Amino acid sequence: MGKGGVGKSTSAALNSLFLSHKGCEVLLVSLDPAHNQSDIFEKKLSDKPKQIAPHLQAIEIDQEQWIKRYLKDVQQQIRRTYAYLTSFNLEKYFKVIKHSPGLEEYALILAFQEINRKFSKMDFLVFDMAPTALSLKFFNLPTLSLIWTNHLLALRKEIIEKRELITKIKLLKKEIETDKVLSKIQDSINQYTALKQLFEDRRLTKINLVMNPDLLSLAESKRIVDGLNGINISLSQVIINKMQENSSIDHILGEFKGIPILKMPFSQTPLIGLDTLTKFLELNDSVLMEQPLELLAKTRN
Amino acid sequence: MNSLLKNIVCKIKDACKVGDEMGRSRAVETIENELEEMENVFGLLVLGSFVGIPSPPMQISLDLMPHMEKELLLMMEKVDTASQPLSQLFSVFDID
Repeated sequence: MGKGGVGKSTSAALNSLFLSHKGCEVLLVSLDPAHNQSDIFEKKLSDKPKQIAPHLQAIEIDQEQWIKRYLKDVQQQIRRTYAYLTSFNLEKYFKVIKHSPGLEEYALILAFQEINRKFSKMDFLVFDMAPTALSLKFFNLPTLSLIWTNHLLALRKEIIEKRELITKIKLLKKEIETDKVLSKIQDSINQYTALKQLFEDRRLTKINLVMNPDLLSLAESKRIVDGLNGINISLSQVIINKMQENSSIDHILGEFKGIPILKMPFSQTPLIGLDTLTKFLELNDSVLMEQPLELLAKTRN
Repeated sequence: MNSLLKNIVCKIKDACKVGDEMGRSRAVETIENELEEMENVFGLLVLGSFVGIPSPPMQISLDLMPHMEKELLLMMEKVDTASQPLSQLFSVFDID
């Protein structure tokens, strides 16, 4: 994560390439709607994994496609369960719903969940995140959704209890019927809880904050850390990108006490193309080797 | 004579049954109204965005929507009768 232009995509690309050079199977996933990975590797990427280098594949998530797919799925379910006329009347709402706030980050969550499921055999899944605001909403979604779903669950349980009481008094027997809404709420709670735990677990999910050694970048980075702390998510490491010999970072180190810091040197040539990235890595391998040890413990050599 | 007696007993049994059903119905009337209101609140919470009320994140509404046809229709009906709240209240308290 990080402010726009600090080098999030380049850091993700370099880290992916670094891990693949160590023999790990890596999938680099671009969740950023700007999709810079195609430009960085000079290769057209799509929602299907493409081999970029030995052990390294890359994929780009089409947010709009995911929203469309999700809404189509809901519409199909409605057509199956609703009376024809009701579902017909609802069609017009769906044309507007796709523009609803909140669906953007949900599309990313759906993509994230499927990639986690589909590519669980990979050694590393590296996600190139969207700009700060969208990324914070992304990480916040499970927590926010759990507040709502837990409240709805309690209310639904109360409704079912009352319904059962009425049936018992009226028909002298307790009607046992599975409430589909209750089951659906419970399913959602389980899913959001699993996602929240995954985001909070620093052994499974490493969150890197990328920043430059300048004051603007530091100010936004502090806001990101505050935003993440608010939902119980901590950082794995801070990458200070574009470091130059005269860069002063004492004030940055003071702000991120206790968090590992990786100082990525400034490159004189633009880091575009596999060859340039590989050369940069060869020169700075020792820098990347300084990353938190458990991250590299998985590496094969 | 015997059949007349049987008939009377039968009628008394029927009357008791009707009385019992009525009593049970009365006993749950208030709970039923309470339940109906709770269902309305639930419908509004989940599907409120359709009538302009703050609602949960869109994906929660959409995930539950396929299972909530009854609530959706009920809410639409409520929107239709919203202009006559007094008549709605009178019918709840059974005032003609």
